[in-house]
Amino acid sequence: MSLRWRLLLTLGLSFAALWGLVAVWLYSDLQDQVRDTLDQRLAASARMVAGLVAQLPESAWQNTGDPVLSVPSSAGVACQINAPSGRVLMRTHGQFDDGLESPAPGFTDRDIDGERWRLFTYVQNGVHITTADRLVERSALQRNVIAVAAVPFAVALLGSLVVLWFGIRRGLRPLERLRGELSRRAPDTLTPVEIDDAPTELRPAVDTLNQLLVRTGETLAREQRFTSDAAHELRTPLTAIKTHVQLAKRLDGDKAYAALAQAEAGIARLQRTLEQLLLLARVEAGESHFDMEQATSSAIATAALADLPNGGRVGIHENGVAIPVAVPKALATAALRNLLDNALRHTRADREVSLAIELKAARVTFVVCDQGDWPADRDTQPLTQRFWRGAASRAGAGSGLGLTIAAAIAERFAGELVFEPRPGGGLAVRLSWPRAALSED
Amino acid sequence: MHILLIEDDALVGAGIRSALETVGYTVDWSTSGEEARLALNAVASDIAILDLGLPDMDGVALLRDWRKRGVALPVLVLTARDGLADRVSGLQAGADDYLLKPFDLDELIARVQALLRRAGGHAGPIVEHGPITLDPTTQTVYCEEREVELTRREYALLSKLLHARRSILTAEQLKDALYGIEAEVESNAINVHIYHLRRKLGAGLVRTVRGLGYRLGNASDIGKRSTP
Repeated sequence: MSLRWRLLLTLGLSFAALWGLVAVWLYSDLQDQVRDTLDQRLAASARMVAGLVAQLPESAWQNTGDPVLSVPSSAGVACQINAPSGRVLMRTHGQFDDGLESPAPGFTDRDIDGERWRLFTYVQNGVHITTADRLVERSALQRNVIAVAAVPFAVALLGSLVVLWFGIRRGLRPLERLRGELSRRAPDTLTPVEIDDAPTELRPAVDTLNQLLVRTGETLAREQRFTSDAAHELRTPLTAIKTHVQLAKRLDGDKAYAALAQAEAGIARLQRTLEQLLLLARVEAGESHFDMEQATSSAIATAALADLPNGGRVGIHENGVAIPVAVPKALATAALRNLLDNALRHTRADREVSLAIELKAARVTFVVCDQGDWPADRDTQPLTQRFWRGAASRAGAGSGLGLTIAAAIAERFAGELVFEPRPGGGLAVRLSWPRAALSED
Repeated sequence: MHILLIEDDALVGAGIRSALETVGYTVDWSTSGEEARLALNAVASDIAILDLGLPDMDGVALLRDWRKRGVALPVLVLTARDGLADRVSGLQAGADDYLLKPFDLDELIARVQALLRRAGGHAGPIVEHGPITLDPTTQTVYCEEREVELTRREYALLSKLLHARRSILTAEQLKDALYGIEAEVESNAINVHIYHLRRKLGAGLVRTVRGLGYRLGNASDIGKRSTP
């Protein structure tokens, strides 16, 4: 059920029920009031007549046999005066025979000539004064009064329902516009939703939606860029392999061998790229099935250097004992190896790359310094972007994933990877992890 | 014919260069946009092969810049990105053709030949001029339906002359087509090759335009072999 209908039904029904209850209450009140008012009129009439009777000399009706005054039937209040002896002294509605005799003072109802009357008898010095009116007339009067009250009441009820209808329609218009705007959009549209004069209640929802759309768009663009970059990184070595294999078929002798050697280099690169991609995927996906064997800082440095073909160019400045590190050995080695590999790529072959291990505040830090040409004022933020490569990395292209992987491994195990441009050019890379608790003495 | 290859990847670039050299083209290889810009100014290329993923600038931007500056060089674009947008933007920027990596060498060579042919105004692959027929697919040359043995340089020189039709080529242009930008060439090396060509195909093949350079001789003058 739509919000509008729910509101309309809830409010409309409550309105109608409340007003109906009030109407019933008013009706019964009004009925009582009218009856009381008419009763008071009867009583007042009787007292007025009694007042008149009291003014008359007593002899006025002693010698008369028939009523002194007998007025034929008419509408309105009837009246009859009885002497203490019971003789009718005066009466309106002469057609009734002893019709309005009343033994007791006060109000009573009676059938007279097939009509229902209400009588009031007032006794003064033995003289009974009875006033009466027809219940039919009373009912007519009551109906008129109620009708006069009911018509404005009904108009007001209908009016408020109409106002309710329009009010709800108007109030829900921004929602309706939002719905229309959303239903008109193509499913892949990521532009922000904009509706005019959104009320304050709706603003946060629209803003949140727009922020979500922006974030989705960014994620999508990032994924597309990653896919495109990955395609580039995988196709390039594949192209090299294919080109050199085909070349080898066209050539012979040493040249064919040389081409095959180039193809093999392409295969090695493709393999490295694939392995790096898979490692990155495992670290980023939060896989928990790593070999959790931990190692000391010096064991990690030794393993990382052993992985590097030109590790001999790395000068180690280790000041301290072997410190256990709270990272799986394989991953720590991979991260450090990538940092060293990157540093070696960007440092001329006749210069040294240095590796220092520091222990500060229960954190173990590997500091790798290269002598590359990274300018001191260049932003280091792109370094860990996937497939980002510095323009100068011509000394055998890397996969563009090494530093990304190092950053991912650092982040995964509460570590930190910081790049600091060195004053004389090049970078100092600081990779730190918490020191592990000593498992044995 | 001289090809300017712009490819940042060492392995891929070396492969393409070797492949193109086996079919008689002279290749100069630039590994960045900046190098390519310098090479373009320094050497008279007949075609460029441009990889879009360059380290220092976007290949598409480079291409757009060339076209803006009125460089009419045919450009074959190589890309490892298969997004439609990448291909469309390459072509819109002024590429004459594109090839998706990884490609077959045969296809690369066929496309290069097709672009050269179109640039030279030839409809088919075989170039004819008077009695001379040159088939780039097999790199063979016939004169009066008799196959003529040519060295690689001689073949390249003849191909350059034939594709230029009858416009004048400077010694520098011929040098570029034969040796590329880097080779240190003896000043009379071109003359030596022209001498050999004339000897094999007739003195009327190449005419010397004094002070300017060389051009292809009239079709009717070719084939009369000069006596040694």
